[in-house]
Amino acid sequence: MIKKIFSPKNLRNLIISLVVVGILFLALSGYLTPIFSFTASPFISAQSWLAQRFLAFSDFFNSPRDMATLRAENQQLESQVAMLQSEIVALQENLAQSEILYSLLDFARTNPEHSYIAATVIGREISPFLQYIIIDKGSNDGLRYGMPVVTQQGLVGRIDALIANAARIQLISDAESVVNVKLQTAEVEGLVRGSVTGEISLDMVPVETEVQIGDILMTSGLGGTYPPNIFVGQVLTMQSKQNVLFQTGSVQPVVDFSNLSAVLVITNFNSVDISPLVP
Amino acid sequence: MISYLIGFAGFLVTGMLQLSVFSQIKILSGSADILLLYLIVWCMYDRSKQLWLLVLLMAGLVSSVSALPAAIVMVVYFFVFAVTRMFQKRLTQTPLLGVIVITFVVSLLQIVMNMAYLFISGVEFSLNTALVEVALPSLILNMFLAIPMHAIIREIAHYAFPKGVEA
Repeated sequence: MIKKIFSPKNLRNLIISLVVVGILFLALSGYLTPIFSFTASPFISAQSWLAQRFLAFSDFFNSPRDMATLRAENQQLESQVAMLQSEIVALQENLAQSEILYSLLDFARTNPEHSYIAATVIGREISPFLQYIIIDKGSNDGLRYGMPVVTQQGLVGRIDALIANAARIQLISDAESVVNVKLQTAEVEGLVRGSVTGEISLDMVPVETEVQIGDILMTSGLGGTYPPNIFVGQVLTMQSKQNVLFQTGSVQPVVDFSNLSAVLVITNFNSVDISPLVP
Repeated sequence: MISYLIGFAGFLVTGMLQLSVFSQIKILSGSADILLLYLIVWCMYDRSKQLWLLVLLMAGLVSSVSALPAAIVMVVYFFVFAVTRMFQKRLTQTPLLGVIVITFVVSLLQIVMNMAYLFISGVEFSLNTALVEVALPSLILNMFLAIPMHAIIREIAHYAFPKGVEA
């Protein structure tokens, strides 16, 4: 009986069963994970490659029936995106314009002694030697020759020529422009002149006057061309030579003339032409 | 007649581009004058006898927009007309070369006249600064833009003068 139980055949089956159970035990306990992962990875890679190819193959044969719908949907979405993008650009432009107009409105509210007409800059002078801009308001809007033009920052210039629906403004940076100014701190008057390059400079300041860098320049109202107390700029540098009566200097204008997009025309100021009185 | 209309319409479009775009594109303080370039190239291709009328119209339009005295604009524009007439006969096979040479000469004339006007007006300016910061950059920009302007006008000229445009 015992001999029959421990026959070579049964013994072999028992050993195999024990080995299998042992392996299962080790596998379930997690001891064989590194070996499994090492041996399984090539198979998994091969399997995923095969699955991907099969999906691609399957898509190729199944997709045509959806392609037309997808293309139409894609086209619709693309046009929607383009429309939204153009809307964003338009809104951004409106926002920028509104910000400028709000700041101009703020300026008009804080300076109620003048009445203003807002205008958009639509062009610039052709000749590089001259500094002029063109605005979209003219005599039909109540503008007249010589009216001063400002922004929320300060003085821009004055109307040089106009037609019914547009006007040309001579900037204070123009070579032929001269503005009577006063130094806010020193209570001294001088002249701000433009130049061919568009830079502005301070002139005719008495040599005994102590001018500080950063001093603020405002219109004095002398000469009758501009109303008083409008910001013009700040003193950048000063230089005085020996045996001269006046000192000169460079000025940083408060208005950025290269980025002007909207301006205010002061309509209740009538400039006075004093040229016939000049001897 | 149609060539005059095309020429004037093109000038108006160029004028709008000049006022809104090209007057703001600057090298130092110099900027290009594409209206002048348009006139030069158009005059190189237009062989009609009444072209001076179109030139007069263009000069009148520029005079009304620009702060420069009308006399300067008239002199420069009719100088372009005269010089292009002269070059048309001599440089029939190489209009681009003619355009570049005329652009150089006319830009120089325009710069000299601008500076002379400022001098006569009593404006104090440093000749060196005016040359380095305004005149030379403007001249360079004009020369640079003359080539694309020639290419564009040449295409337009094919429609305006179907028989008259040469290589």
